[in-house]
Amino acid sequence: MRRDIGCNAIDHAVSRRAMLAGSAAATAVGVAGKVLPAETKQLKTQQKRILQIFLQGGVSQLESWDPKPGTRYGGPFRAIETSVPGIRISELLPHIAQRMHHLSIVRSIDIKINNHKQAQLFMERGRRAGVFPYIGTIAAKYLAPKGAALPGYMHVTTRGLDDNTNAFLPAEYGQLKLPGAAAPENLKRPDKLTAEAAKRRNELRQRLSRRFSGKVGQPAFTDSYDSSYTLADKLLAKKGLFEGEPPARELERYGSHPFGRNCILARKLLEAGSTCVKVTHHGYDTHAENFNFHLEQLAEFDKTFCMLLDDLHDSGMLDSTLVLIMSEFGRTPKINQRYGRDHWGTAWSIALGGCGIKPGVVIGKTNDEGTEVADRKVDGSHLFHTYFQALGLDTTDYHDMPGRAIPIGDPAAEAIGELLS
Amino acid sequence: MSDVINTDGPAAPALPEAAPLPIDVTKTHVIAEFKHEFPLTTCRIDPTGRFVFAGAEDLNVYRWSLLQKTKDDDKTTFAGHDSWVRSMDFSPDGQWLYTGGYDDHIGIWRADDPQPKPVKMIEAHKGWVRWVRVSPDGQLLASCGNDNLVKVWSLPEAKLVQQFAGHQRYPYAVVFHPDGKRLVSFDLMGVIKEWDIASGKELRSMEAKFMWGFDQKFRADMGGARDMRFSPDGKTLAVAGLTDVTNAFAGVHKPMILLVDWDAGKHRRKLKADSYKGMAWGVRFHPEGFLVAVGAPQGGASGVLWFWKPDEDKPFHTVKLSHCGRAVDLTPDATKLAVAQFDGLLKVYQMTEKAAS
Repeated sequence: MRRDIGCNAIDHAVSRRAMLAGSAAATAVGVAGKVLPAETKQLKTQQKRILQIFLQGGVSQLESWDPKPGTRYGGPFRAIETSVPGIRISELLPHIAQRMHHLSIVRSIDIKINNHKQAQLFMERGRRAGVFPYIGTIAAKYLAPKGAALPGYMHVTTRGLDDNTNAFLPAEYGQLKLPGAAAPENLKRPDKLTAEAAKRRNELRQRLSRRFSGKVGQPAFTDSYDSSYTLADKLLAKKGLFEGEPPARELERYGSHPFGRNCILARKLLEAGSTCVKVTHHGYDTHAENFNFHLEQLAEFDKTFCMLLDDLHDSGMLDSTLVLIMSEFGRTPKINQRYGRDHWGTAWSIALGGCGIKPGVVIGKTNDEGTEVADRKVDGSHLFHTYFQALGLDTTDYHDMPGRAIPIGDPAAEAIGELLS
Repeated sequence: MSDVINTDGPAAPALPEAAPLPIDVTKTHVIAEFKHEFPLTTCRIDPTGRFVFAGAEDLNVYRWSLLQKTKDDDKTTFAGHDSWVRSMDFSPDGQWLYTGGYDDHIGIWRADDPQPKPVKMIEAHKGWVRWVRVSPDGQLLASCGNDNLVKVWSLPEAKLVQQFAGHQRYPYAVVFHPDGKRLVSFDLMGVIKEWDIASGKELRSMEAKFMWGFDQKFRADMGGARDMRFSPDGKTLAVAGLTDVTNAFAGVHKPMILLVDWDAGKHRRKLKADSYKGMAWGVRFHPEGFLVAVGAPQGGASGVLWFWKPDEDKPFHTVKLSHCGRAVDLTPDATKLAVAQFDGLLKVYQMTEKAAS
């Protein structure tokens, strides 16, 4: 068994870079973000979307989706029955166990990568190598309705790297990172800047951008710059989403901790029309005290996630929302001397459900000790095809780029057909 | 499985004559070694000195004889828990073994049973049972668990007689004061609480926050007691654990043995081995006035036995272990100690010169 116990420092680097440089200069201060019932109804029927929960650091498959109690590397936790007869998951996920009929599990992922960043890129891009768009960018580009009220790809996270999520696609489809549930910095126009002055400033900027791109012939430079203003405009128009304390009842259900608040915001963003909302839950890179940390982290994740799942289900949105619970990799079966588990891309699991996914299914299996995939080996490229085919996107098609055609999904892989409903 | 525990077990065999050699920890040497195929989680020597017990990551507890020459395979399996056992204790006469499991249960066993089965399994806490201790008079059993509660059970009935709520985070260990009237618990956040058993009231709460760390990057708490003991006179509490947490998820911290002047409620000394990074997993007061502690490193395999004088900052002697130590215990005559290791080895050391063959 090969282990990688060293984390590259950059993988853990904290980044709280201001979300939108210059957003203070944006001018549109529109209506509050309260979603109207009619708007929600239309979303329910017409738009498909993604809720992506990213358990950053690598959640242990043995403490979540593929428990092996009583085996050599099983650890101290037991497996429990779920609402789907025959599917057992870790006792650390009791709320999900009651809702297993909404989800399915893939237990046979082998990406052969034990490095945080490289593994995350594979799981997000569906490509082992090369620069390709992230899941959220693909969703924003191909699933977002024209004139969507919110940026297509929003990521709520308290830390993380600044990624090139859009790759070769226009910057407007890239991730808009929100550093938590609080209103982003600079959402309010400076008091000294009048609305009229801001409007004139923005028009000047647009004129200069057009002139620059026309002369130099590098529209990508100004497109990227302009898109940050476009995204900011959309956000400003929905700034009501960030205003006020969530109702006490919601905080009680979701939890008043940052992940609870982030998931409440995620629901509001999805209801308001964002196409892909990613929420990162940190704290799974457990090289030491894996069991104590998973006990705490998964308790927080399990209940909070289930409240969000319930709300999507109850509002009728789950049928049109692909729900992904993923990590960059899993954790070693072998338990180290610090009661930790290390990085492990060789035999691990994710869970998914909602739009286009057959519920209550388990794909693949690992061997008795969880050290190898025993059946139906898949990797990030298969999963990528599966996600988007579930949403109705033909991933064998091509990105239509000027002068070249780039396959949307890895042509060497295909979707996991057994998972598609 | 019986609901009532019969305490009329066979009398324990007499201990062998204590070694005539004087204690000299600088001459500490291995006298027995038992190999198990799974990492060990803890170890205890029973009060009669007949047996050494160890918990293992295969969910079982094992017993080896200390009186007879045994091979690795000459072990007796105590199977009954569905999860790891990290804490054990005995009735003062050594007849009963009490095990605290991460399966929420306390197991009650006849310690010398040739074919052990749990006499009783009590669903003691909602969440892991992290620690169990028997009172000095053997009439009570204390436990603490992941429901943040400290509980007291009467023996031999194993009925709940007292319950203490007040810890906001997991209590990691609990110990009776030698006067038998008070109980002390230590939680994840370095909060120490003293409880009055008769009234059920909290007597004192004090803090040892330096035995806890909040990892800013990962937003996680790490701390808690990995072992806890009172000195025989009840004046000093020793807590084994960690300090100086810089990266909780990578296990980057230093071991610490905290000594608390119990009557004054003040930290008497913080014993640190500065050159060593890792965790202190076990501590015992030796009758001759020094402390024995065991540690595991952050990396590598060089576990360590420390011998400390309570009023000196540095250990006066150390013994390198073949792998990470996870618990230590003394024989009743205090001439020997047992260490449970991560590599599955259970080693018994003698703290004297080698006896002439």
